[in-house]
Amino acid sequence: MVDLMLLAPEITILVTGLIVLLAGLFLSAQSKKILGYIATLGCLVAMLLTISSFGTTAVMFSNSLSIDALSQFFKIVFLTVTTLVCIASVKYTDGNDHADEYYVLVLFATIGMMMVASANDLMVLFVAFELASLATYGLAGFEKKNPASIEASMKYFIIGSLSAALLLLGIGYVYGATGTTNIEGIAQNIDLLLNSPMGILSLVLLIAGFGFKIALVPFHMWAPDTYQGAPSLVSALLAAGSKKMGIIAAFKVFIGALIALQADWQIAFAILAVLTMTYGNIVALSQTSVKRMLAYSSLAQAGYITMAFVVMTPMALTGGILYALSHGFMKAGAFIATAAVVYMVTSENKDILNADHLDNFKGLGRRMPITALSMTVFVFALSGIPPTAGYMSKFILFSSTIQSGLVWLAVIAILNSALSLYYYARVVRYMYAKPTDGDRVSEPLPYVVALLLAVAGVLVIGIWPEPFVSMAMEAASVLI
Amino acid sequence: MAMENLAFLIPLLPALAFVLTFFLGKKLPSGGAIIPIIAIAISCVISLSITAGLLANPEHVVTQSVHWFAILNLGILIDPLAAVMLSMVTFVSLLIHIYAVGYMSHDPAKPRYFAETALFTAAMLGLILSDNILQLFVCWELVGLSSYLLIGFWFHKPGAASAAKKAFLTTRIGDVMFLAGIVLLFADIFAILEGKLPEGVYLLQFEEIFKFIPDLVAINSTILGMEVSHLTLVTLLFFGGAVGKSGQFPLHVWLPDAMEGPTTVSALIHAATMVTAGVYLVARTFPMFLAAPGTLMVVAMLGAFTALFAATMGIVMNDLKRVLAFSTISQLGYMVLGLGLGAVIGAEAVGVSMFHLINHAFFKALLFLCAGSVIHAVGTHDMRQLGGVGKVMPITFATMTAAALALAGFGIPGTSIGFSGFLSKDPIIEYAYVFATETGNWMPYLFAITAAFLTSLYIFRLIFMTFTGKPRSDYGGHESPSSMTIPLAILAVFAVIFGALTRGKFMAFIESNFEHLDMNALAELGGYHLGPHGHEPLLILWMPLIVAVAGLVIAYLIYNKRVIDMSRIVSSENPVYKLLYNRYYQHQIFVEIFSVKIIYEGLALASFYSDKMLDWLVNGTSTFLIEAGDSLRKFQTGVIQDYAAAVVAGVGLLVILVKLIMEVF
Repeated sequence: MVDLMLLAPEITILVTGLIVLLAGLFLSAQSKKILGYIATLGCLVAMLLTISSFGTTAVMFSNSLSIDALSQFFKIVFLTVTTLVCIASVKYTDGNDHADEYYVLVLFATIGMMMVASANDLMVLFVAFELASLATYGLAGFEKKNPASIEASMKYFIIGSLSAALLLLGIGYVYGATGTTNIEGIAQNIDLLLNSPMGILSLVLLIAGFGFKIALVPFHMWAPDTYQGAPSLVSALLAAGSKKMGIIAAFKVFIGALIALQADWQIAFAILAVLTMTYGNIVALSQTSVKRMLAYSSLAQAGYITMAFVVMTPMALTGGILYALSHGFMKAGAFIATAAVVYMVTSENKDILNADHLDNFKGLGRRMPITALSMTVFVFALSGIPPTAGYMSKFILFSSTIQSGLVWLAVIAILNSALSLYYYARVVRYMYAKPTDGDRVSEPLPYVVALLLAVAGVLVIGIWPEPFVSMAMEAASVLI
Repeated sequence: MAMENLAFLIPLLPALAFVLTFFLGKKLPSGGAIIPIIAIAISCVISLSITAGLLANPEHVVTQSVHWFAILNLGILIDPLAAVMLSMVTFVSLLIHIYAVGYMSHDPAKPRYFAETALFTAAMLGLILSDNILQLFVCWELVGLSSYLLIGFWFHKPGAASAAKKAFLTTRIGDVMFLAGIVLLFADIFAILEGKLPEGVYLLQFEEIFKFIPDLVAINSTILGMEVSHLTLVTLLFFGGAVGKSGQFPLHVWLPDAMEGPTTVSALIHAATMVTAGVYLVARTFPMFLAAPGTLMVVAMLGAFTALFAATMGIVMNDLKRVLAFSTISQLGYMVLGLGLGAVIGAEAVGVSMFHLINHAFFKALLFLCAGSVIHAVGTHDMRQLGGVGKVMPITFATMTAAALALAGFGIPGTSIGFSGFLSKDPIIEYAYVFATETGNWMPYLFAITAAFLTSLYIFRLIFMTFTGKPRSDYGGHESPSSMTIPLAILAVFAVIFGALTRGKFMAFIESNFEHLDMNALAELGGYHLGPHGHEPLLILWMPLIVAVAGLVIAYLIYNKRVIDMSRIVSSENPVYKLLYNRYYQHQIFVEIFSVKIIYEGLALASFYSDKMLDWLVNGTSTFLIEAGDSLRKFQTGVIQDYAAAVVAGVGLLVILVKLIMEVF
């Protein structure tokens, strides 16, 4: 008998989504605000359920889903990001007649991500992957009257479909060689793939499929356009949440199923990690759109997390997993802060085109002090300055890299971190050192609450890392 | 007892007060001063009651500890040493906060002021009750940060901004040494345990560190051909930190400039917080110092030298606050000397030194607050423009005289009668004599006794120039408000009688701090012999008083009776005066010769081309990267077909690359 309690978080989100969908039919645009609260509540309940059952292991539905510390840790990451996004969205969707669709898509995307985290079968994984993708395609184009949003959605959709095709092709090769789509089954029959020319090809196809979500160079091209064009809060969900879905999927497939081909995919990931972090940081240097800058910074961060695949020690995986959580807080926070600025700018001038331009951050320290201070915390965390979550994760990840003898990789990563400080600090300089003639703006409460929660997360992990590190360690021990 | 469980509130309340005052201060009367005052008052009550409990039962040390991460903890250790420091810091800081309500009443940035002083106090309290060296270091840095903020409180004045920077950078040299000491210590402990860290033990707790002392002494390194014990290295590096924070030669240069902040800040820095941190660090790790061969000799010599060196400069300064600044450096020199004398008297040295620290806190805070009172009333620091202030400010005059008598050390040798400064400085000078007879090194004693004479001379010069005689300029003075004079009166009472009341008991109390450690065995490791010491000759006993009286008489004759025409001495012709007035040209030496001449010109001459090269390298790198970013952006065409092509090409290239690399390696 399957213990359905272990699926309670997913069920909670699903039920919340359905409630929101149904309630949306009967509510007027003005009263749809309540849907945001319902969605937030649902996420919080699901998060509590996940945390309370943390550490239980189970396999269910004919071995197609597995619940363990790893899947639960990533569920916590997804739910954290979704909660932050839902809270901030209360203001964003205020008075919008399509708010119900917005929240339903956010919640369904979250279920997709959570199912990927639990998937123990490539088919389940693919379906869940697509569930999350399809929901986010819609979300990226949520601002139907904004051409940039539509363009973002279209590009995301087309490249997403291409990548899904590649992913499915990769899965097909693996199935063709090993005769099963179950992750443990693949690991047992791996000899069949190992001695076949399909090996490397299927590996690279899978990497391309996941790399699309993680936004690894050269599968990243959609990311800057989409992050910039999509509503900021959706970008937060994409960069902070759905990117991690690619990472957990890669963890499961490469370490769980294809560990025998470790030598091959480690090389592939080494190339991609170095390329991605360097490219992301260098291109970020000259960006003037903050969302685009964050998109490139998000590439760089993905490059750091990918180092975990190259190093492959328990400590490195712990670092990578902790980084996923920290990045969830930092990146979601940074996008929410940008959303608050965009809100401020557009409420002053409805027709403005690039509301997230760096110039709009001038004097933010005086105009929106809480947003500016939070943004400062997030960008410093992203660049890895203590005592923040970003520092802690980088510290664990980089030191494990050095310990395992890959000093060259650590040096590249540290140089990249130093480089990134330039564009992160530039935002702070604009916010505090550049004068502006704008007046103080009252900051909407939902944004403030979401920002402060994210700041709290970033600082708590930075100052009191122990419980988070031990959770990440437990999650890593599932893999090796 | 319930009070002990509240120990964690001692630093936490002022820290909370910092946050509250910083954000809400503007909306509250008098800049939110009431929040830090209440917070520190509660901390003070808790500290005092813990101290009282410890006095009744010295064994009953308060310890609390929570796991932080890995092998580090956050913990509280309140033994007698910490208890007296806590009581002193909270008490003096409380009085200074109350006084500041009046002193800062005209300043528009009051919330920032009170928030920063609360942070300063919180950091210092956290430093004192740390039970491990890393937490102490964190608070130590916080103290440095808040001192930077406070010295530069009037940051729009260029003088204040540069003084803050100077203080920060100078103490930073010490901080780096301290950190290096911690790193070396931890590396050595790690090596001693051969990498096997025991479970559930926090290795950087002081009690744990002390257990490793014998092993640490045994590790030797050869530096410049000399065999040096690692414990000596660690303690010298710690002492380097103390030299920076406690303003010892040659890192004392920041202290006189730190006068640029509000006078209340000077009082906090000089009396209650900051400068005592260095002395406290040495006292806290005293067992390590005692067991380290050679370290205490360095400590004693440097302390004695600083005491004399600073006193000589004190006699020629014309700025009220600068005289006091040099006096602080000089008195800190005495405290450090006192600790160094542990080479012959063991743990008693900590008692003597801490006793002087506490007494000094009272009379130095009083001196600063009196000076602040004068400045607040007449609006100038320059003693040459003052004179006769005593007539208009009788309370300030009386309290300042009491403080001066305490600083100069008036009392009757061999008894408990005397001002507090006498009862603590006198033992240091006496033990310096014992040190001289035991080790044959007379320098500390001679320095200390000469400095005692100069101390008396400069402080009475200040009193006579400021308070007696006729006004030398047109100032309209008035006595300060009662929020300022009441703290003065309270501090004056302490400056007069605290020493006499607590003398024997205090030192015994502090010495009980290290009772559980075998001090004789530790001294053996350090190569010292702690023996009983005989009575000093009568002349030696009376010498400190004689020189103090001599200083008073000379100051009276010159600055009140004017029997000697000072204009002949105070002139640019007199090389000694010039040397002292220009503070031994330290500024010139540091800035012009050391940094400008040697570093800058050396660099410029020897590496003119490499200079260009560096420029080129730095600018070139940044230009290159930004250009590279710009051109890489062009890959991002925005055309979706290109993106799809990139994905497919990426797959193809990756297959080839992985295959190639697998074949080659």
